[in-house]
Amino acid sequence: MKLPATSSSKAPVKFRMPTEDNLVPIRLDIETEGQRYKDAFTWNPSDPDSEVVVFAKRTVRDLKLPPQFITQIAQSIQTQLTEFRSYEGQDMYTAEKIVPIKLDLRVNHTLIKDHFLWDLNNYESDPEEFARTFCNDMGIEDPEVGPAVAFAIREQLYESVASAREIKISKKGRRGAEHAISSKGGGNALDLMKLFRYNSSVVRKRKEWYVYEPIVDILSNEEVDALEAREDRNTR
Amino acid sequence: MEMPQYDPNTKPEFELYTIPSHSSWFRWDDIHETERTALKEFFDGSSISRTPKIYKEYRDFMINKYREEPSRRLTFTQVRKSLVGDVSLLHKVFRLLDEWGLINFGAVSRGDDSDNRDSSLGDTELKNQVKIEEGAPNGVRVVALPNSLKPISVPNSGADGSGNGKVVVAGETGVKLPPLTSYLDVFGDLVKLKGFKCGSCGEQCNSGCYEYSKGSFVICEKCFKNGNYGEDKSKDDFRFSDLGGNSLTHGATWTEAETLLLLESVMRHGDNWELVAQNVPTKSKLDCISKLIELPFGEFMMGSAHEMNSSSCPTGSLNSLKEGQSASSENQNDVKMEDQVHDQMNESEQNGDAATEEPPAKRKRIAPLSDGGSSLIKQVAHISTMVGPHVTAAAAEAAVAALCNESSYPREIFDGDEDYLANGLLSPTMVSDPERALQVDASKMEENQSETQDASSEKNDVPLNLRIRTATATALGAAAANAKLLADQEDREIEHLVAIIIETQMKKLHSKINYFDDLELIMEKEYNEMMQLKECLVEERIDVLERALKTGVSKWRS
Repeated sequence: MKLPATSSSKAPVKFRMPTEDNLVPIRLDIETEGQRYKDAFTWNPSDPDSEVVVFAKRTVRDLKLPPQFITQIAQSIQTQLTEFRSYEGQDMYTAEKIVPIKLDLRVNHTLIKDHFLWDLNNYESDPEEFARTFCNDMGIEDPEVGPAVAFAIREQLYESVASAREIKISKKGRRGAEHAISSKGGGNALDLMKLFRYNSSVVRKRKEWYVYEPIVDILSNEEVDALEAREDRNTR
Repeated sequence: MEMPQYDPNTKPEFELYTIPSHSSWFRWDDIHETERTALKEFFDGSSISRTPKIYKEYRDFMINKYREEPSRRLTFTQVRKSLVGDVSLLHKVFRLLDEWGLINFGAVSRGDDSDNRDSSLGDTELKNQVKIEEGAPNGVRVVALPNSLKPISVPNSGADGSGNGKVVVAGETGVKLPPLTSYLDVFGDLVKLKGFKCGSCGEQCNSGCYEYSKGSFVICEKCFKNGNYGEDKSKDDFRFSDLGGNSLTHGATWTEAETLLLLESVMRHGDNWELVAQNVPTKSKLDCISKLIELPFGEFMMGSAHEMNSSSCPTGSLNSLKEGQSASSENQNDVKMEDQVHDQMNESEQNGDAATEEPPAKRKRIAPLSDGGSSLIKQVAHISTMVGPHVTAAAAEAAVAALCNESSYPREIFDGDEDYLANGLLSPTMVSDPERALQVDASKMEENQSETQDASSEKNDVPLNLRIRTATATALGAAAANAKLLADQEDREIEHLVAIIIETQMKKLHSKINYFDDLELIMEKEYNEMMQLKECLVEERIDVLERALKTGVSKWRS
């Protein structure tokens, strides 16, 4: 009697980040008067909105940006927060869903590429803890790498739950959890049935190990400059 | 000790692996209650990706992976690439095995376990929790110059006497500093390295040196003049290079005046590092910040700078901070001696031209030396440079006299032909009250000197070296004795604190034991209740059977 677990027996949960701390990833990319400010951090949505302006002012002061940035930063943060809050009223799909997370980021002189699996339904997961373990194990000394890794994970998780929610809304007519699993953003979710079958092993074949292995590169100054120039060209 | 079951044809002999005794419940072919309770997700049937079989596979793989190389520490990142599943869950399994010592038990422990996990009972708790860090804290690397990325390692002076746990900074060799180190002790070599060392006579070339054009050989000016060029080198091969003086005021060395300026500007401007950097002309913003953090009370400055911005006297607060330091107690002695010397100077015309010194009414408020980081000798040197030469000479005499009174040998050297009767009189008076004896002694010295001035001027030449040596020897001796006292005090404090820690641990264990006793009582009561219930049931059953038999029911179903 093999029922695919109790995927629909859990009561639906209000929308939130599927991690232990409900922190929203905020990304800023503002350009004014020839100056560009790029940043990425996490925000606690239960903070009062007045904090946004305070934060914007402090940031501008610390980084010595022209004052026009204050309103733009505050606006950008507010927009992203409002978007998050608009999802909050709805229910979130709570079936188990294991998604692959790919990391491909550069922080100062460190280049990181990684690929691993994450359970969207695990509300006790902690990207920050993962980032800490990662930096410790790989012996990374740059203290800015950890938060960047955690942020990248959070961003991907946020995208996954947000898109899942949208699909659910558009498919309101359908019934049954099984349907939803298979029709959910196709390539994203892993087919649990196939992976965790009774007679298959959860240990990967050796030749696949390199796919899921993290790669950490320390770049020289010239390489960093070259990569930055390329990134700027791409985003314009 | 636990022996894994290997196929006879893969390994001819058994390998022995060590796991802690509190993990002896572990079996390869079974899952223990401990594991079931700790990782409930696998055992509640909530998902097909979490079953006991899958858990067992994860666990066995991790343990076997570790045992491929027991001496190296297995990291989570190494195993997660080989296992399919949510990484948070895998991390939980990994942590469970790590805490119970089923993996990484014999591996080199890494030092940056900053999260104080509650290890299970009996695990090497004390070793993990009572960590007294020596040297730079984690996350802070000690570098030679600010902005350079190269960490430097301290020459190990072997000061492991305290016997506490040593912390190794992750990845690189630990920067272990012995306690009571002063900045210059550790980094003195680096300061010197910036100057050049002469290749032939081994001394410092401070102002200029001669560089050998065909290689990296340097000799000082003296050697060049004397003709000591070294082997196979001739005069023409050397080039003169003037170092000037600018290599010495590099980013890493802070003079007293600069430190003082820094502290004053921080008091005035607080957080505004631009203005602070402007006020301290030779140092950049980063230098200022890092220097302030290095100072022992730098943190207080940054916090109190905001509060005291409106206070009237910045030097007053600096003074109070300075007096709080124990190292400055001797400083105060010097200050007091100087004040007394002022008085004495004007009482008797010592060297004839004392009139040029400051009048006694004006007690000069000496600018505070709030840099606790530099050594005591340096502070004394600084004070002596700030005042005029005659005052310094008088202070030196007075200091020598004070030291003399502690032991009679230097006394004899200094006053060679004095009557030893005076000696005997003076030494007993010394012990308790140094200041008064100092005055008496100093004035006595002055009288003697004015009497025997001519005679003494002749004697001065001969024992001059000896006098200097004995003076320095006694000064160093006094400093060393003081340092030992401080060290003893620290030791006692440490012992006291360790005793407190042990006590609290004991209390914790006691309360745990009490809790378990209570639990036992409750369980006993419940057991009794169950037994009673059982009896009741048996009675009822007997009752029913009796009635059934009485009514002669032949066939009854049990």
